[in-house]
Amino acid sequence: MLTLAIFLTNCSGVKQLSIFKEEVKRQELNLEKPTPLQLEQIKWIIITSENAEEVFKKMEEQGLDPVLFGLTDNDYQLIAKNFAQIRNQLKITNDILDKYKEYYEPKEKVKE
Amino acid sequence: MRLFFIGIIITSLLGAGAYVLKLQRDNVILKENAVKLESAISEQKQVIENQKKDFAEILEANKKINELVNNLKKDLDDLDKRFSKKDRDIGKLAIDRTKVIERIINKGSDNATRCIEIASGSPLTEEEKNATKKSEINPECPSIANPSYIPY
Repeated sequence: MLTLAIFLTNCSGVKQLSIFKEEVKRQELNLEKPTPLQLEQIKWIIITSENAEEVFKKMEEQGLDPVLFGLTDNDYQLIAKNFAQIRNQLKITNDILDKYKEYYEPKEKVKE
Repeated sequence: MRLFFIGIIITSLLGAGAYVLKLQRDNVILKENAVKLESAISEQKQVIENQKKDFAEILEANKKINELVNNLKKDLDDLDKRFSKKDRDIGKLAIDRTKVIERIINKGSDNATRCIEIASGSPLTEEEKNATKKSEINPECPSIANPSYIPY
């Protein structure tokens, strides 16, 4: 009887519920945003068969080497479009980076 | 024989007492479990709420990026149109009006340079922020340089 009582009281007991909580937050990356670019301004010179002599003469007067690195009108258009595409890509990448930062490292969380 | 029965009664009483104690212990544990479950349910609700907020934020971020991509594409199309508008031939124009085109190209180049600076994160100037007229905007990239400008 005693054995039975011990059996009843110990083996059919209610188990204590255990809820595990693991909230180990990753450290924020906090990389500094790159410094915005400060570009130099460049000067385009249009040279035609008619003004070539005058252009080179002026360059010599200004103490510049009388040499020009040229593009055709079509290539000028292409380089302008290429730069516009690079600019767009830069802007999109930068904005995506900002959105990720806002999402994963919002300012409220930083304050906490 | 009598002792045997007394033994059985005492053992039964002890067993019953131990069983009652066990039930009391179980009851305490069950109450604790109920509290934990309630707290877990409340936490789960909070998690679901947070997930809803996250989804809304994700949708908003996607919308903003799509808008930006479309606006930048429009800027690029506008540049293309400027070169080829009404069968415009920039080469011929440059031969006919060399100085004027040179000035236009240099102005455009300066504007495009500023666009790259803005795209890389350079803050907008007050002039850029407040520009609303065509004559005030940066025609190379109004979508990022002039937030107040509405094309007309």
